[in-house]
This record gives sequence, C-alpha cells and structure tokens, in this order.
Amino acid sequence: MPALGMAQETGLIVSWLKQPGDAVRTGEALMEVETDKAVMEVEALADGFLSDVRAAPGESVPVGQVVAMIADSADVVPATQIRPVGTEPAAAAAPVALPEGQNIIMPALGMAQETGRVVSWAKVPGEAVAADDVLLEVETDKSTMEVPAGHDGFVAALLAEAGQDVPVGDVIAIITASKPDAPIQARAAAHSAVSEPTPVAPTAPAPHRALEAVVAPDGRILASPKARRLAAEEGLDLGRLVAAGHKQPFHVTDLETLRNLSVTQVDASILPVSAAPATMMHAAHQIGARAPLAGTIDFLARMEAEAGITLPPDTLWARFAAEAYRAAAGVAEIMVEVAALGADPRRIANPDRARLSDQSEDTSGRPAALILRDLTASPITTMRVGPSTAPILSIGKDGESYLLTLDFTDGQLSEDAAIAFITGFAGRLSEPLLHMI
Amino acid sequence: MRDITLSKAVNEAIAEEMRRDPTIFLIGEDVAEAGTPFKVLSGLVEEFGPERIIDTPIAEPGFMGIAVGAAMTGSRPIVDLMFGDFLFLVMDQLCNQAAKTHYMSGGKLNVPLVLRTNLGATRRSAAQHSQSLHALVAHIPGLKVAMPSSAYEAKGLMKTAIRDNNPVVIFEDKLMYNDKSPVPEGEYLIPFGQANIKREGTDITLIGTSSMVQVAERAAELLAAEGISAEVIDPRTIVPLDEETILRSVRKTSRAIVIDEGHQSYGITGEIASRIMEKAFYHLDGPVIRMGAMDVPVPFSPALEDVTVPTPEGVAENARRLMRGEMFHAA
Repeated sequence: MPALGMAQETGLIVSWLKQPGDAVRTGEALMEVETDKAVMEVEALADGFLSDVRAAPGESVPVGQVVAMIADSADVVPATQIRPVGTEPAAAAAPVALPEGQNIIMPALGMAQETGRVVSWAKVPGEAVAADDVLLEVETDKSTMEVPAGHDGFVAALLAEAGQDVPVGDVIAIITASKPDAPIQARAAAHSAVSEPTPVAPTAPAPHRALEAVVAPDGRILASPKARRLAAEEGLDLGRLVAAGHKQPFHVTDLETLRNLSVTQVDASILPVSAAPATMMHAAHQIGARAPLAGTIDFLARMEAEAGITLPPDTLWARFAAEAYRAAAGVAEIMVEVAALGADPRRIANPDRARLSDQSEDTSGRPAALILRDLTASPITTMRVGPSTAPILSIGKDGESYLLTLDFTDGQLSEDAAIAFITGFAGRLSEPLLHMI
Repeated sequence: MRDITLSKAVNEAIAEEMRRDPTIFLIGEDVAEAGTPFKVLSGLVEEFGPERIIDTPIAEPGFMGIAVGAAMTGSRPIVDLMFGDFLFLVMDQLCNQAAKTHYMSGGKLNVPLVLRTNLGATRRSAAQHSQSLHALVAHIPGLKVAMPSSAYEAKGLMKTAIRDNNPVVIFEDKLMYNDKSPVPEGEYLIPFGQANIKREGTDITLIGTSSMVQVAERAAELLAAEGISAEVIDPRTIVPLDEETILRSVRKTSRAIVIDEGHQSYGITGEIASRIMEKAFYHLDGPVIRMGAMDVPVPFSPALEDVTVPTPEGVAENARRLMRGEMFHAA
C-alpha cells in the first residue's frame, strides 16, 4: 500500500483493476486506492502476474503493508516463497526455507523514503514478542525510530542484519504464532546479492577559473580592500610586491612578505613595477637594481693614486647617469641634479660631456631632467617622497652593494627607457674603468 | 535540559501561549484533526477545541483575510500556511493589508498576527512545494521574518512572534521537524534581531539561515580539521537583522560566506553580503561569497534536487578558496 498523501496512514482499496493471474506490465493501473484526499490509481511496479492478493475492495490497509504480489508465473505464489529482503530472483534458486507467519516489512517512515537502515533488532530469533513490543530500530535519512512488532507471537526469522539498508516494503522479519523450531537469522553472506543503495555521485564543485597571477590590463595593482587599507596605513608600497614577482591579487598575508621585503631582495634582473592608483601620492613607477660598491671605490682610489685627483663619488655617478640616460631616453641636453641627503642640491648640465674634475654647477635655474639622490651616507636604503618633476634615481648602500631605485612617472620615461637607463647605469657602476675608456 | 523535536517545540510554544492568552486562535488547512501534514499541531484541537484551532477549506486568501481582520479587531491569530509556496496566494492580505495597516491607520490599528509556514528543498516535493520564499516577505516593510535553525530557536522565536504586536512571518524548515535539540523545560523567549554566534572562529565568517546554519556548522567542522577556524553566525531573524554581530565578526575574520536556501539571485544572501560590503569594506580580504539555492525551479528528481542547494562540502570548498586568496569569477 503506497503512501499517496502526506499524512496518510492507511489506504482504502476501492477496487482491483486486475484479477489474480492476470498479466500486468510496469506502469499499468493495478488498483484504485482512496485516501482522505483523493482516489488514485496505483500502478504496477514490475512486469509479471498478479498473485497472492491479500486485501479486498473496501478494506483499509496500513501504508507499507503488502496488498498483493507480482509473480513471474501465473501460478499463485505461496507465502513461503516470498523473497527475503535484498535477494535477487536468481538467489531463489537456493531456496531459503522461510517459516510461514506474519511478514514484517520495512515501513515507510518518511515521505520520500526509499530505504530504511536496520539500526538494531530488539528481539532475537526464537524470542516471544507482543504486538506492542519494539522489534527493531530503523534509521532513515531524517531520524531514527523504534518500530513495534505489530503481531503477537515468536520471532521466527530476522531477514536483515543491523546496519543493512532495506528497501521500503521488503520483508525483514517473520513472526509466527508458535515457537519456531529453527529460527532464522540472516547473515550478511546470505545477502551477498543485496543491492547497495546507488551512491549519489559526489557533487563536484562547479569549475571555477582560479586565476593565480592576475595583472590588471591598466597596470592597477589588484589587492583586497583590507590589504590596500593596511598597506596605506603602514606606508607600505604594494608595487614592491609586484617588483619582487609576487602573485596578485594581494591579501593581508602578502603584507607580511612586503614588510620583510627590503630592497635587497628585489631581483637584480630589474623588474618593472605596475602603476599605483593615481590617488596615491607617490611616483607612478619604481624599479630597483643593485651594483657592487667595489667598482666605484676602486676607480676613485686609482684616480687618486695615479692622477692625484680626489673626486667625490657623485661626480662619477652624475656622469654615468647622464650617459645612460641619454642612451636610453635619446635626449640631446641633460640637466642632472645631485642631492646628497641633508646637503644643498646642485645641478650639472651634461655631466657626461665634461671632465670628471671639472663638473661645474649650473646656476641658470633650468629644471633638472634627472635627480640623483645620494643616500649612501644615511641608513636609508630607498625612499619615495611623492611625485617629482623629474625621474629620481636613489642610491643607497647595503653591505657590498649599491641599491639603486628609480622612481618615475609615465610622462617622464617609458618603461623600456627606464629599464634601459637603470640597466646601463648599474652596468657602468660595476665596471667604471671600462666605460671611461 | 531535555531534547525535543523542532515540531514538538513549535507545538509547545503555541500551546503555552494559547493557555496564557485566550485571544489567540490558530487557523489553517488540516490544522485540527490532522495536526498539519507534518503533525506539528497534534493535540492542540483536543486541548483548545475547534473554536480556537480552526480548520478551513482549501482557501488561503480567505482564511488569511479573516485572520488579518481578526487581528485588527482584538484577536491574535496564528495562520498556518501549509507550504511556504502558498505565500503567493496570500500576498495581498499579507503585504498590502497586514504589513501596512498600522502605518496607514496612523498607529490606531495593530495587526498582531503570526503567519507560520515553511521552506526547504530536498524533500522530493517538486517545484511547487519546495521553495524557500522568505526573501519575498523580507522585502516588505512592516513584516518581521524569523527563521529558526533548531528546536530551541523554533520555540523561543514562536513565543516572541505571538507576543509581537506586528505581523510576523516565521519560516520553519520542513526537513527539520524531526530534528531534536536541547530545549529548556521552563519558559523562555528569544528576542528578535539578536543573532546567535553558533561557533566562534577567527579565519572566516559563515552566516547561515534556518537549516543552512547546520550546513555552515558542518562546513566549519570540515575546515577545522584542516586548520581553518570558521565562525558560524545564525541571524535567527532576517527582519530585523542583527547587522552589528555580523559586521563585528567579519571585521575580525576579514572573510565571509552567506548561505541561505532561497534562490541565490535577488535574495537574502545578496542582501547580507551587500551590507557587509558597504559597512566592512576596508576589513575585507576577499570577496563576500553568496551561496543560495540554484536559480531553477526545484527539480523533483532527487539526483537533480540535491545539487540545487548548498552543501557543507560546497561551503568548505569556497572557504578554502577564500583562504588561498583565489579570485572568484561568475560561472
């Protein structure tokens, strides 16, 4: 008896549309059932022959109770050959001699329930049982419930084991009126043919494109709102993460990397830096590089020893910077401003076209095309003080290296020119003599 | 404290309030002898009689209208709407009348009415009996909306709803009626607009409503095994919404996933995610992720139906992706 309504406990058989022995096909109407809501036709769920009709028209039958069997042949099937739960018809070739009595089926406890799991049997085979006694505990996907025996008598057979999933309506136990001689306890081995519930395929998460390293086409740095806020609060430059080759978008965890990232860790192979948002008050681009101290020191020492000329290092830098800048940017005239931290800046026109010992200060007031900032006498390794009228090349010191940082904006230098400039400058610092010849 | 089912908790709340206040009556389909299809109201007609537990014909607009009128004139009706899907039938009575009467009468009339109904898919009830339509009514000023996530919440929120002088719609998850949880013997009420932090965590905030609270909690367990500490928040009422508890949590964790069983588009997840984005933007370390039901009619096929609602595994996977800082793109 199927559950046709939600709160239905019994169904009234209005009429049988097939007679015992009639051939039936899956989907054919088998009987009419009336609930408190409606009269419905109930379809056959298997091909075969209607047999063993157990409820007459006008009879009210509890939901889940067997009302008839569909047999493989037109002969009426005796109750003793009712398939025990889960056994395939083929398994009937080795007939299980089941005792004759009241068949207890897996009840339908929920609406959409297809199977129930036997949690435990409250009775053992052979034990006396009263109709109200709990016979077993059944678990559905929703809850665990105790199921009463429903009949007085003796447990003659338990056809499902604890832990087994049994389709609703399958016979799981038999209760006989008299004490059975050889009560049956089904073992798992006896049910090797038990069909496993079809596992629902695990729901694969919808494929997402996880773009690991993303760079916005306009060069904007991609970072979470929190990472951007914290970076601004701490004065950290997310551009340096880009320069160091870290993947965007940046999150708060990347700030720890950024805090630990000194310029010394910037790859000497010189990486371009993406533009920071225009609202941020600093140069739009930055490039870092390094060069050995030894080149400059050795060269100045040689000048002093061999030519008796003592030069401050920035005269050499101004010359090299002008040379490299001219080559990279293709300019005819170049005014270089040299600014040591704490000292007054001085400007030199075309320092690459004058003798090293004769770099006179230009006092014409013409603006600088390039600013050299000497940080070597301070503990500062790099600094960024906001947009400037000209590219700023900062020279700091770290151990045996100069740390070179070029700050520039789009209007001042192209990325390619900036790379060529700082590469050329770093190369000259490494081998001054080579470039003086 | 004893464990009782959500169904029993609702029953107790209604019975206790009806004993306390004789102006309360309950009206709906199959509420008396049948005790509703889910047996939530079993035993009430025996105690309070058919004058206070009123069975109606299948006529939702009619009994809803009757209840609104009764509420305006001194009664405190509880309307039982068998399925949340039937809300569409009572929209005028609820949204045009009940929600606006207090305002339009200049405060002269109150509508102390509770509409109890349900939501929730995966019950094989097909497209017209499986929807989660709470966003529809949450959109209407003048209505309060409660979404209990366990038996404890179901009882405490129901009692508060009954005592409220304004219309309250309370959505129970129809799959949770048999779920048990500890419920005190003594009387208690749960105030509206007070979220419950179900589980504390530091890495990510999971905000779930109704049965999605359990989904979030299970996801949090999966994540805990991987060293990710998830905080689970149950708003309990979506109108009024306890924004402060949610924002405080997100400011702490910097990440949030909002899980709800209504359709994802134009729903509760979008509303809560949007408030987080507006008010905790500079604390976010990743996008706020919405996880609602798929934007499709709820399929009858179990295999299809099951994939339309958020699962603990799905929530955990999105949480992992947020923790890894991956980018999310629309499918």
